[in-house]
Amino acid sequence: MPQRRVVITAASAISPIGHGRKPIVESLVNGKSGVAALREDHLISRFIHSRVYGTVGYPIAYDFSRQYRKTMGPVSYYACQVAREVLEQAGLPPDFVTGGRLGIAFGSIHGSPTVQRDIYRIFFEAKDKATFQGIGAVDYLKSMVHTTAVNISKMFGITGRIISSGTACTTASQSIGFGYEAVKYGLQDAMICGGADEYDTITVAVFDNLLACSTAFNDRPGETPRPFDRARDGLVVAEGAGAVMLEEYEFARKRGATILAEVIGFACNSNGGDLILPNLDGITKTLRLGLENAQINASDVDLVSAHATATKMGDIIEAQATGRVFGTQPRVVALKSYMGHTMAACGAVETVLTIYMMQEGFIAPTLHLEEIDERCAMIRHVQKLEEIPVKTAAIQNFAFGGVNTCLMIRKLT
Amino acid sequence: MTRQEIEKEIRAVLLREFEVENPEPDVNLREAYGFDSIDAIELLLEIERFLGTELTQAEKKKAMDIRTLNQIIDYVEMLAHHRKNEAEKA
Repeated sequence: MPQRRVVITAASAISPIGHGRKPIVESLVNGKSGVAALREDHLISRFIHSRVYGTVGYPIAYDFSRQYRKTMGPVSYYACQVAREVLEQAGLPPDFVTGGRLGIAFGSIHGSPTVQRDIYRIFFEAKDKATFQGIGAVDYLKSMVHTTAVNISKMFGITGRIISSGTACTTASQSIGFGYEAVKYGLQDAMICGGADEYDTITVAVFDNLLACSTAFNDRPGETPRPFDRARDGLVVAEGAGAVMLEEYEFARKRGATILAEVIGFACNSNGGDLILPNLDGITKTLRLGLENAQINASDVDLVSAHATATKMGDIIEAQATGRVFGTQPRVVALKSYMGHTMAACGAVETVLTIYMMQEGFIAPTLHLEEIDERCAMIRHVQKLEEIPVKTAAIQNFAFGGVNTCLMIRKLT
Repeated sequence: MTRQEIEKEIRAVLLREFEVENPEPDVNLREAYGFDSIDAIELLLEIERFLGTELTQAEKKKAMDIRTLNQIIDYVEMLAHHRKNEAEKA
């Protein structure tokens, strides 16, 4: 099967540490955390032990007309905003955008929980027909699992493929990987890829009840999560969105597009067993498959963006797998240390941040990594900002359900 | 309720709920304002509220071919007339 090169021509993120390149880079350089206090939802938040959340705590100047807003839940606001930004940055011709050769790979963990919550409140409480009619005609469109992708398609008139993976924490990394494959194998010439998740206490409750959430820093939100640190005590749920524009290399080059990086490989597998526990063999295999797919050696990789949620076991298993495959040469950064776990968005947000670091020529340190857990010490952690060029990066993400991904990107010189 | 009162109410609803401002009476709302079937369902709920009556499924289905402001007013006028007749018979 003929294979084509795939490049990234635009990138944007809405994250707890900022919206877009400048504020995000400033936060990374200055070690600024985006974790804040959990907001009250007047429903279940009072029962949650973890009182921290990676919060998008700044206003976003949305400019969506009602024609579009009427089918959008909060998650689609994030998704459509970052999609709009990568479309503007990429500067694709309008007839190409609507012509069928541009597709979308975008997802969220379960659509819009805010809208779903309102639907189910009525479901359980409906006493009469008037209350029943409170389930709006568009509530499904706002809350369904592929709501982000199709709202993007509607807003920008995009008529190509729709891929909407909903694989929890690998949603966005799969979006980029599957988008990469769609362009690589000639099914599309360009793909908008990413993921988004809105503020949601249900997700926190799930992890909280699994004893996987950080609780020891409730009075100091800015000091957690702490990937690979001895004092880490669990993950911090977060909100946000990330998107990249992938294009076939010759198409991008001929139209004079700015090329931020090249996607050189992608791997995805499953553990075929437990749906929660991290799996050393499964993750190790994914990373090796990533190298194989990119046709590079482990020694070619300068930087690993670790999934590293700051859970006790997850970080140890990931460090072991990363050490097995990459050894001690590549620097390893855990970007969730800045903002928590943006769930479906994390693969895209971490890809965007890695691109920013490639462009700016620095590697941000893992925040709060003061004392490395000896069980995670077999890899080359970054504890201070390093001004160093990054040519090739591996972006690792793993999800509930036993799904693993590894994305390989390279800076073009 | 007079036709003028119905028109005033419908125009207010179109502006408040659908951001449709001062539509020409016979302009196709779908073509001019993207007013689609989703909006039509929402508009029917608004009509139920201001008429203070519940519409039957058959009555609602009749509304699905409506395209213009004048047709909306005709529809509401017809509903108001039917409800008045039903009340008088009762």
